[in-house]
Amino acid sequence: MPLMSDIVAHYQSQFEQHRNAWSWSGDHSWQAWRQAGWNAFVARGFPSQRQEEWKYTNLAALEKLLLSCEPCVPDPLIWDRLAPQILLPTAQRIVLVDGVFMPQLSRLQELPSGVKVEPISAGAQRQGVYLRDLLQQACHTTPFGALNTALVSEGVWISLEPDAAMLEPLLVVHVTTRAHRATHGVNIIELADRSKLTVVEQSIGLTDQPYFVNLVSRWSLGESAQLEHIKLQQEGERSYHIALTQASQQRSSQLSSHTFALQGNLGRNDLQVSLQAPGAFVRLKGLYRVGGKQLQDIHTSIRHESPDCGSDESFKGILADSGRAVFNGKIFVAPQAQRTVSQQSNHNLLLSDLAEVDTKPQLEIFADDVKCAHGATVGQLDAEQWFYLRSRGIEAALARTLLIEAFALDIVASVPAYPVRTALEELLRGLIHE
Amino acid sequence: MSLKAAARLLKRAQREFTGNETRRVDLGFPITQNGMKMLIINNLHAAVGEKPILKGIDLEVRAGEVHAIMGPNGSGKSTLSNVLAGREEVSVTAGSVQYLGQDLLALDVESRARAGVFLAFQYPVEIPGVGNVYLLKAALNAQRKHRGLPELDAMDFLALVKDKMKLMEMNESMLYRSVNEGFSGGEKKRNEILQMAVLEPRLAILDETDSGLDIDALKIVSHGVNSLRSPERAMILVTHYQRLLDYIKPDYVHVLAGGRIVRSGGPELALELEKQGYSWVAQEGQEAQRGSGNATHE
Ligand SMILES: Nc1ncnc2c1ncn2[C@@H]1O[C@H](COP(=O)(O)OP(=O)(O)O)[C@@H](O)[C@H]1O
Ligand SMILES: [Mg+2]
Repeated sequence: MPLMSDIVAHYQSQFEQHRNAWSWSGDHSWQAWRQAGWNAFVARGFPSQRQEEWKYTNLAALEKLLLSCEPCVPDPLIWDRLAPQILLPTAQRIVLVDGVFMPQLSRLQELPSGVKVEPISAGAQRQGVYLRDLLQQACHTTPFGALNTALVSEGVWISLEPDAAMLEPLLVVHVTTRAHRATHGVNIIELADRSKLTVVEQSIGLTDQPYFVNLVSRWSLGESAQLEHIKLQQEGERSYHIALTQASQQRSSQLSSHTFALQGNLGRNDLQVSLQAPGAFVRLKGLYRVGGKQLQDIHTSIRHESPDCGSDESFKGILADSGRAVFNGKIFVAPQAQRTVSQQSNHNLLLSDLAEVDTKPQLEIFADDVKCAHGATVGQLDAEQWFYLRSRGIEAALARTLLIEAFALDIVASVPAYPVRTALEELLRGLIHE
Repeated sequence: MSLKAAARLLKRAQREFTGNETRRVDLGFPITQNGMKMLIINNLHAAVGEKPILKGIDLEVRAGEVHAIMGPNGSGKSTLSNVLAGREEVSVTAGSVQYLGQDLLALDVESRARAGVFLAFQYPVEIPGVGNVYLLKAALNAQRKHRGLPELDAMDFLALVKDKMKLMEMNESMLYRSVNEGFSGGEKKRNEILQMAVLEPRLAILDETDSGLDIDALKIVSHGVNSLRSPERAMILVTHYQRLLDYIKPDYVHVLAGGRIVRSGGPELALELEKQGYSWVAQEGQEAQRGSGNATHE
């Protein structure tokens, strides 16, 4: 037994104190499932920069925080503070606050037929075996995934029957109001054959004190299913946001996912997509934005396991002050995955000499008939463009802002859902003009 | 001189009479009158990095005048244009520039634009993601605001821009594209003149606006420029070829070589250049550099 580090010992005491506290997972099977998660976490240990996956992301500050995982009763009167942050106020939504499902803040009365949205606590008994299996596959692959299994408090379970369609965006909102806590949540999205869903996932912090949000998402797309996903990270000033998403795609399914890591002290998004049958197509896009001493880390992995699949990936970053970012984009093309078409790009805009980005494409191609392109750039604002705008009378600072906006809005422009796109444009403009 | 001005006024009156005059908005400039000194460049020296490029330019431009600056490639024409527009990479090492009675070199880029200086770029810049219409509106309103005028509302603004686009024979769809992105060479130059038409500057500097234009585009651009000629506006046409001057008649022609104006004269000088080429100019330029130049000034 290796010597347990302080932070692992801390989470162990949290695990032992609270493992029975979530009533939906009180039975023996769920307890065994949590225990397996805990064991996996101990085996992996808390990540350090010696590990390749964490080479550029320093978690020392998170490691020093002794955060509580105790279940809490959220203040139901937070609506006034939350409402202005909700991207689409009239959309159907499910809201979790500090890891607790809040029916009074959610709006789930007008879901189309064939669309089910519920907290996992509601389905835990009915579908225990199924849920445990589903989550276990994802969680044990990373240390924080394993920790999530041990300590998960609540989650969102969205499932669509074959041919069901929800074209109006559905909001999934994770809110943190209390500081000095670690919240472990999950999101499950299951799209049966030919079903369609647009989902907007918002992670919102309503405290400027330290906290940690650790999310695990599992998505499965059946034949010809279509998922449009938009994630908005709007965490607090001293937050840690770590999220692992795993998606599997069947024949002719289409996944479009946009990640906007806009606010927060440290963010890490792992996006892992597996294309398992011909015709599956994934588009991963995203924008990260850091200032001060913030860090955003994007790790993507797209596995082409089958012939005739496509992937289109493009992430952009805006880095100011001493901000840091990491982009690692892995593309794996299996030997049988002939006629793969894959495109990846990562462009970074450095607004300060102190900002830094580590960008790395990682292509592992074992098939011979493939079209794979990738490219990464790190640059500054274009002096010619800046001069041009100013020469028309536009003030220097505004000209700069316009150029940053142009760089960023390109990613927003590829969001297919119109109401989401316009709301995002407005949000982003507001942030850039701050 | 005064005859010429009278002829221009007459022409303008005719344009108004035939309804060809385009829509104008009050930009709130200080009043400039025909003949008033607008730009006085005195012994201007400028360098890019360590490299001296302009080596003593003297030039006076009065309201209502059109000056052509011609010269071989690399003689410093764009550098002069850029110094006037305020490009920071070019450093002024000696001399002065007075514009409407103020020290132009003391102003930053955007203040010069707001004071009515406009540069049509030799190579207009592509700005993906910034809409053409957005740039026009932001620029016009920034300039209006600076002069204490209310911003134009969306309706008035669009009406104004569409009007000017007709003049430049531009398709309205270009408004909604990114600035110059994917525009052909001719479209970019037309877009420059469109901006000029919307912003209605006092002093317009057109840097090789003719280069890369086919004859039809040249006519459209020239028509646009001519329609902006007015007694209270001055223009500096920078060009390598005489061709543009067939369409836009200058009052004066200057020859720039080796960073100095080596010859000045009337429109006939351009024709002379057309016949003789620039080789003699290069020679005079070298003499000028040796400090024994016998450049003729007015
Ligand atoms: N940014 C620059 N860096 C170095 N040299 C420059 C730069 N801009 C212009 N020059 C040099 O200055 C001289 C004049 O250039 P320019 O003003 O563009 O001439 P023109 O417009 O008459 O063709 C040329 O020798 C050119 O190489
Ligand atoms: Mg030039």
